[in-house]
Amino acid sequence: MTIEEFSFANFIKSVLWLAFWILTVVSLIGIPILFILLFYVEPPEIAGMKITPYLLLTMITNPQVGAPLIRATLESDFFKVAVFPGFGFASIFATLLIFTERKLLAKMQIRVGPHYAGKEALWWIRQFGGFPQLIADLLKLIGKEIIIPASADKIIFLAAPVTMVVASAGLVSLIPVGENWVVADIDVGLLVIFALLGFFPLTALLGSWASNSKYPFIGGLRALHQLVSYEIPLFLSILGVVILAGTLNLTGVVNAQSDIWFLFLLPIGAFIFFITALAELERIPFDIPEAESEIVAGWLTEYSGMAYGLIQLANYVKLYALAAIFVTLFMGGWSGPTIFDSIYIFDSLVFSGEELSSFLWFSIKTFGVAVLMILPRGINPRIRMDILLRTGWAKLIAISFINIFIAVALIYTGVV
Amino acid sequence: MSDIERLNSMLPNSLSVEESREKGILTLSVGPQHPGSGHFRLIIKVDGDIIVDAEPDPGYVHRGEEKMCEYRNFMQNIPHLERPVIADSCSILYPYCLAIEELLNIEAPRRAKFIRVIMSEINKMIFELYWLGIYGIFLGHSTMFMWPMADRELLIDLAELASGARVTHAYFVPGGVRNDLPDIFKDRAVRQLKYFRNRLNEYSKVFYENPLFIDRTKGVGILSREDAINLGVTGPVLRGSNVPYDIRKVEPYDVYDELNFDVKYMKDGDCFARAYVPYLEMYESVDLILQALEKMPDGPVRAKLPPNPKGKVGEVFKRVEAGRGELAYYVISDGTQKPYRVKLSVPSFRAIPAMRKLLIGARLADMPAIYWGLNYWPVEADR
Amino acid sequence: MSDQSLYREKEIVDKISSKFGEKIKTNYINTKRIKFEVSKDDIIEFAKFVKDMGFDHPISVAGTDYPKDGKIEVTYHIDSCSNESYFGIVLTIAVRLARDEPIMPTLMNIYKGVEYHERETFEMLGVVFKDHRKLDRLLLPEDWADIPPLRKDFQIKGR
Repeated sequence: MTIEEFSFANFIKSVLWLAFWILTVVSLIGIPILFILLFYVEPPEIAGMKITPYLLLTMITNPQVGAPLIRATLESDFFKVAVFPGFGFASIFATLLIFTERKLLAKMQIRVGPHYAGKEALWWIRQFGGFPQLIADLLKLIGKEIIIPASADKIIFLAAPVTMVVASAGLVSLIPVGENWVVADIDVGLLVIFALLGFFPLTALLGSWASNSKYPFIGGLRALHQLVSYEIPLFLSILGVVILAGTLNLTGVVNAQSDIWFLFLLPIGAFIFFITALAELERIPFDIPEAESEIVAGWLTEYSGMAYGLIQLANYVKLYALAAIFVTLFMGGWSGPTIFDSIYIFDSLVFSGEELSSFLWFSIKTFGVAVLMILPRGINPRIRMDILLRTGWAKLIAISFINIFIAVALIYTGVV
Repeated sequence: MSDIERLNSMLPNSLSVEESREKGILTLSVGPQHPGSGHFRLIIKVDGDIIVDAEPDPGYVHRGEEKMCEYRNFMQNIPHLERPVIADSCSILYPYCLAIEELLNIEAPRRAKFIRVIMSEINKMIFELYWLGIYGIFLGHSTMFMWPMADRELLIDLAELASGARVTHAYFVPGGVRNDLPDIFKDRAVRQLKYFRNRLNEYSKVFYENPLFIDRTKGVGILSREDAINLGVTGPVLRGSNVPYDIRKVEPYDVYDELNFDVKYMKDGDCFARAYVPYLEMYESVDLILQALEKMPDGPVRAKLPPNPKGKVGEVFKRVEAGRGELAYYVISDGTQKPYRVKLSVPSFRAIPAMRKLLIGARLADMPAIYWGLNYWPVEADR
Repeated sequence: MSDQSLYREKEIVDKISSKFGEKIKTNYINTKRIKFEVSKDDIIEFAKFVKDMGFDHPISVAGTDYPKDGKIEVTYHIDSCSNESYFGIVLTIAVRLARDEPIMPTLMNIYKGVEYHERETFEMLGVVFKDHRKLDRLLLPEDWADIPPLRKDFQIKGR
């Protein structure tokens, strides 16, 4: 078929023809192979039940049989890592934050923001006003070619975005969104957070170096300076929390705040953490590594297509993670009054009321902090590198030592 | 070492590649494809964060306006002459009309003179708002990009009401203006300008009083009074360097001598002063328009002209105060229907030497503030 | 225009002619506009004198081609920013050069601001300014291989 003969009917016909053949091949070859496999492979056992094809078939007519499986699935490691409270939840939260940012900034700037995408086609979600714009942006990024500069170091160039996403996902895995609802509940959680945050300047530097271009190089150096000099006050501000809580475990930190939030005991520490988190996120007013009027797009200049998309995804997941860490450290994490009833399906527990409430409180707090992190973009210009470094090394570190003294004094006087 | 020798020692070609490598100096080509340059290239050399050399390279949008003028008669020159600055298109035609009026020995009617003052002040504000918006985004302040751009629409609507076109009005003609103002113009202008004056106060709150903005502009790129004069800069840049020099005051054209206004100037000569002077001038422009609307008499708006008129033999040098500064035309006529030579002396072109002087020794992050603070408009500079 | 209204302009011309005498030709005196014609040998001295008088703000450098006379006229427009009694007066300093050999000394050591104006005049009319910092292409394309375009014998195609 040449291009002149192309018509929509032919296109449909060829798609249907393809579907027919796939069905035929699957039913004649795939299903017998599946049965042979099932004959030899031992079925997995969840919640005391063997997951056999017969059980699955029974569930079609009698769903009650499978009800205990729901809770078991929710508690499985895979679900926790991939969906909730792991990367899937973080990605959706990040998407929501992107949309909030765009709408909020638009409101501040006398615009409407995303408004038209999907307005006609998806009339039933019209009230979300342009939410499909994010999907359209994602599709656009996926559809674009990833252009790699000819003189770039290809492997490192492409590894940088992936490393960034992995590091952000690592941050997400440490955040407890409820009692026992955390991917990795390790004793030295805060140390792991320090270690993972240390990845980002390296990623930026490697990505910029691998681009083999001048503007990314300057941007990478700027990112390195900024991130390294702001990690120190960040860690020092967390130290006050560690002294008060007496643990490096994030769940332990949340439990230590059952009486009073650390925000009220260590306001200076919270302030420093907030400022340094903004700098870590490279958000305005600290977007010096990406200053577009000076160095085009900083170390992102040569990235295009989904490589760029991954970096943006990682940035927003990191925004979520840092907001969540702020909530965990200073605002009592998931704690809050129980307002929901437990959910049961066929008398087997899915979510208890405490869990649902903790998810809600955690989400609300995190969303609020993230919006506060977004807001400075609307009212501030970008600051200069020398001012940033002077502030970081001379002022923030000094104040964070004061914060540590306050924490020690609180312990010494027996307030906590 | 004199300044000239110092400048000479920093010639862009004075550093070879090997030297650059040894000294760790990086050559950057800012533009013509760069989000912070426009149709313009700056070849800068940076040593760490400090710019050690800068060489402006204009010419990407040169259209030969001056040569084109010699091939068209006096009237035909109007539309293409306003192309270099479409955001300020009345001001760039204004001195041309004044010059041709003197060459053709005609005078615009009194009402036309008032209308020209009104339109040129509106255009000045349209340009200054555009400029302010770009200044905002150059410093990473996205709200300050959106607000002036939105409020600029109101003034564009006013200009459209008068002339029928949004940006390239072709409204000023030798001998007056093309058509009279509509009846509703006065009411709408008063209403919109009052709203606009309130908005100006908000700009100050969100932009000029922002500590980060002050950090980035105060004490950055200081142009002393002597340098400002000797480098030949003009307009807000000159007035930001403690020179209260405004063409509307020192050489009033049309009816500017009948209207009350102050020449706003600042003493510091830094980027903040250069950013603040246009802001203060917008208040003055609003006042000027309101005064002119009050004093405007009735009558014709265009003097009668013979078709395809011949100019007298001689030369004229006329200048006005545009949004970016002094805009001058040097027109020589040899007694035919066409000008013998038209020279545009544009404020943007005059900012280039100052740009080079200010950038050398500045930080890379100060480049957008200095570059855009000089009111440089690449298209106008290239003509 | 009565003679009274031009007293400031007359004063300037008197000052200059008392210093330079016959070397300087005064072409016209209009309201706030005075044109002098200076030879290229005297231009440096003249510019220094005028600058000391207070005319320190360069506006533009224009070049005009007169093929009939065989001359190219380079005109400097200078006004005053520091001397308030001269505010608004523009001096037009013309230098007429031979069309075959248009060479004159640069004024950029006196008025730094004319550097790029002179560069433009160099490429548009082929006038060579001696001792200029960098006499190079400015506005025209780098591969321009024609006569300087503002000379009258350069014709726009199709016109």
